[in-house]
Amino acid sequence: MTAHFVNLLDDLRRRSLRMASLVEDMLEECGEVVFRADAALARRIVSRDTEIDEDEVGVETEVVRLLALYQPVGRDLRLLTAVLKVTNDLERVADCAVNIAERAGHLEVQELANRNEDLKQLFPLTRRALRNAVQAYSAEDAAVARGVIHDDAAIDALYGQIVRQVVVTAPGSPAQMAAVLDLLSVAKNLERIADHATNIAEDVVFLTTGAIVRHRREEVDA
Amino acid sequence: MATEAQDLVAPLPPNTRGLDFTQALQTRSVAPATASAATSGPVVRTERLSIYYGNFCAVREVTLDVPLCQVTAIIGPSGCGKSTLLRAMNRMNDFIDGVRVSGRLLFNGQEVYGSVFDPVELRRRVGMVFQKPNPFPKSIFKNVAWGPAVNGYRGNLAELVEESLRKAALWEEVKDKLNKSALALSGGQQQRLCIARAIAMQPEVLLMDEPCSALDPIATARIEDLIDRLKTQYTVALVTHNMQQAARLSDRTAFMLMGELVEVDATSHLFTTPRDQRTQDYITGRFG
Repeated sequence: MTAHFVNLLDDLRRRSLRMASLVEDMLEECGEVVFRADAALARRIVSRDTEIDEDEVGVETEVVRLLALYQPVGRDLRLLTAVLKVTNDLERVADCAVNIAERAGHLEVQELANRNEDLKQLFPLTRRALRNAVQAYSAEDAAVARGVIHDDAAIDALYGQIVRQVVVTAPGSPAQMAAVLDLLSVAKNLERIADHATNIAEDVVFLTTGAIVRHRREEVDA
Repeated sequence: MATEAQDLVAPLPPNTRGLDFTQALQTRSVAPATASAATSGPVVRTERLSIYYGNFCAVREVTLDVPLCQVTAIIGPSGCGKSTLLRAMNRMNDFIDGVRVSGRLLFNGQEVYGSVFDPVELRRRVGMVFQKPNPFPKSIFKNVAWGPAVNGYRGNLAELVEESLRKAALWEEVKDKLNKSALALSGGQQQRLCIARAIAMQPEVLLMDEPCSALDPIATARIEDLIDRLKTQYTVALVTHNMQQAARLSDRTAFMLMGELVEVDATSHLFTTPRDQRTQDYITGRFG
């Protein structure tokens, strides 16, 4: 039964990693939508969300089943709780990607985005945070996970800078204001994605070490 | 019930070595023992304790604390020495030929082996419940009353029996049939009767050697609820093969392997983040 259980855990991990790969693709495509006009790609991102939602429910159902049937402890228990939380964060990342695709699907936003150097920086930083978090989860690498947690502060700072800049250069016409609000929404969703990547990284630290570092930044390097 | 108490004087189990109740009442005085709250250290402590059966070392240099009013679970595969360690705590191993002990075993700070500590007195203060319920072939009342009576209990036996049965969560089920044979009870009831019998001796520590392994899930749940309640008054050391039971019931868990204590920690910690890979392998079923 133990070998069977180990196989089930491996399957579950693979399912969550496949989900992570899809979500990473969605974020990559968001960059195309924001900086280049691609309405078809925006629609594809939105349509993919259903698949991610179903994946999350499927993984959650399996986690609950394994908890009920096998009553795992130790590392197996930590893995199951980590899978549950990681897939929840991935589903939220997909929601943020959908928000970006929906808000950035018109020319005014693309023009603003292409003129905003901070937003151009924010995209690769957020992508890197998510990629590293997924890599840390895949390789169960606490060191990489800790790096993601540390890097979140820079992303928060960049987002703050975007907000301040928009406030200073606030446009006069309502049409321009709508585009600016959409741009801010894009930036906010990117910042939220980085937060979810941080959550995933915190779950990796728990999975590998048993330490709960959430809300305890001083313990990240402990 | 008074008749039952008087009747105790006549029939005694065979291993009383001729001591009758009248004698006992005249010659023995037992002060009621309670969990010694004043004790700041562990109630039972082993220091580099080794136990040998002839040349075979069943327990190897184990240092373990059993803290006051907590449940300490000892887990490990068959033959790892956990029951031997438990039985050492009230010197039950003394009855086995060829047993040799080295190291120290302290009860409330007092040396148990190699000292003037009276083993009979030790067993009164450190009670034991076994894997299989073992009621005497006597009435329910006599099962509980017999121990205190032969130890010279001077209070009201009927009250003591009722109190012990209540503590063992059995009183409501048997109060109308105290004169009936204990052997007519179900397995779960018999085990609670054995716990009541141990409690009646007013011990400080209860040693439980797989107390639920012969019981069905419902009876097991009742015993687990009982142990959870008992720990407010008694210090409990529990040997179990059932890891979920150890996780549910105990405050601290010790993992033993091949006679050695591999790891002891708070139960919540040991079952989520064990320090030793061998513990990890055992609790997740990957052992061996």
